[in-house]
Amino acid sequence: MIPLAIANQTVREAMRRRVMWIFLISGLFLIAMGPVFGFLSPKDSQTVLRSLGLAAILLAGLFITIVTCIYLIPVEIERRTIYTVLSKPVQRYQFVLGKFLGGFATVFINIAAMGIVFLVLIYTQEHKVPMDMLLGVVMTFFQMLLLAALSIFFSTFTTPVVNFFLSFGVFMVGNLSSVTDSLASNPNPLVSNAGKIVHYLLPNFGNFNIQNSIIHPTIEIKNQEVFMMQNIIYAIVYSLVLLTLAVLIFDRREV
Amino acid sequence: MSDLYSEVVRGSVTVWVFFSTLPLGKEVHILMASAIKIDGLTKKYIDVWQKQEVIAVNDLNLDVQEGEIFGFLGRNGAGKTTTIKMLLGLIFPTGGDATILGKPMGDNSVKQSLAYLPEETYFYDSMTGWDLIDYYGRLFKIPQPERARRVQQCLEKVRLQPDAWRRAVRGYSKGMRQRIGIAQALINDPKLLFLDEPTSGLDPIAHAELRDIVGSLKDEGKTVFLSSHQLADVELICSRIAIIHKGKLLTTGTIKELVEGERTEIVAQGSALHNGVFAKLKSIVPSVSIEGEDRVRLISTSAEEINAVIDLVRGAQGQIVAVVPQKRTLEDVFVETIRREEGEI
Repeated sequence: MIPLAIANQTVREAMRRRVMWIFLISGLFLIAMGPVFGFLSPKDSQTVLRSLGLAAILLAGLFITIVTCIYLIPVEIERRTIYTVLSKPVQRYQFVLGKFLGGFATVFINIAAMGIVFLVLIYTQEHKVPMDMLLGVVMTFFQMLLLAALSIFFSTFTTPVVNFFLSFGVFMVGNLSSVTDSLASNPNPLVSNAGKIVHYLLPNFGNFNIQNSIIHPTIEIKNQEVFMMQNIIYAIVYSLVLLTLAVLIFDRREV
Repeated sequence: MSDLYSEVVRGSVTVWVFFSTLPLGKEVHILMASAIKIDGLTKKYIDVWQKQEVIAVNDLNLDVQEGEIFGFLGRNGAGKTTTIKMLLGLIFPTGGDATILGKPMGDNSVKQSLAYLPEETYFYDSMTGWDLIDYYGRLFKIPQPERARRVQQCLEKVRLQPDAWRRAVRGYSKGMRQRIGIAQALINDPKLLFLDEPTSGLDPIAHAELRDIVGSLKDEGKTVFLSSHQLADVELICSRIAIIHKGKLLTTGTIKELVEGERTEIVAQGSALHNGVFAKLKSIVPSVSIEGEDRVRLISTSAEEINAVIDLVRGAQGQIVAVVPQKRTLEDVFVETIRREEGEI
């Protein structure tokens, strides 16, 4: 109950932030521009619409997740509101969990809003429910779950500015899993070990980008359901590990 | 006869049962119990840039009794807020220990009975006053409709105008924010409140009202640990105080004990006084002010000093014009205690 109360309050505060609305409106604008860009390249109009829509959701979702989650805990400390919360019978893990759930719920609301607009737009063009696109949105959602947990983890021991670059950097490197994988098999042991560390330690955000195979049907995933489930479980387990570490750090932090 | 005997026995047993069930002993015990017991509490920081140790709180020992309003005084940076934060488990001590309401400091279960009003808190300013207090009520898992009842009760107690209850806190004045701060501290009907500067920066009316609200908490049997620079307020509502300076406890006691120290003003005059007598007077009492060529005003702090001064003045053919016992204010005590520690007097 306590984490839910904190989460509820967190959503209300986060939804007030103008910067979040700027990213949401930008995302919606890009999605809405899909048919216009599709009109400019009639041969690939559907591909453009889909590609642009998913990219817009990913980009807007990325910035919304980062700017929302990096501030959740530091703002409470800076404004001293955390004193009034932690002086009540609230365990520190409940506070971190509540903040994470609130941040994640905010991201969910935003991605859901963009996803609905995107899917409705495709439906009006194709007159059928675009299941593959729905899955693409769902995977973006889990990708952002992992990113939210990462930002919350960093926010327990860094400033928002440092957290922004850390979260953004890890997201970028994590999206280059094919590169880090190839580095891991490099004959040079130094490069190989560094590649292995980066590849296995950092969250693999690249695996969530199944839209590539949706947009480019020539790339085939043998068993899509299993692949998606694996990635969803990966996101949940990795997020739980990050949250556990966040709680352990925050438990010892002086506020 | 046997009936009379049995009646007497029955009556005696009834009287014994009646008196044995009276909570007299327990009452005495409860009144004397410690709400806060601090034992050698210490907080040291390492200043990584200066590469030196900073002692924020140094071996602090305090005992705050249940049901009293205890004033915790000190200059800015004296260690007051650090002490409160340690007691609440927000930061961790580097030494010593403390118990709050009989449980170790930072214990989560004891927080059910605690309240804290930090200095200059912003609160969640997009929320309305009502929603804010309701939110804090949810953190105590107070169910509805009891929570709504308590929210209303708290807002009424701090005298926040009802038309402000449903307005966003961001539009509140400083006084209204302080009221809402005290309201959030009262939502759980706490036994012990930590109030950090609850009346600072307020207009005189709001100041007096909030001071009265804090003062009234004692009548409800609550213990208040009050950190404040408003010494007149402290003198008015606190029963005991402690003065802390650079993390070190300088003095503690009842207001009465501290302000009633012997202080007597002596005024003496005489044409012969300036002939080296002033220097001798200064060696007896530290506070000597010379007014003109033949008049002197002294503050003595003991009967021995008074007698020595009188003997010296009369021996020099001078006259004692006035001997006036003086009542000190808490501000006098505070300033004097700090200056003495600093070596200024």
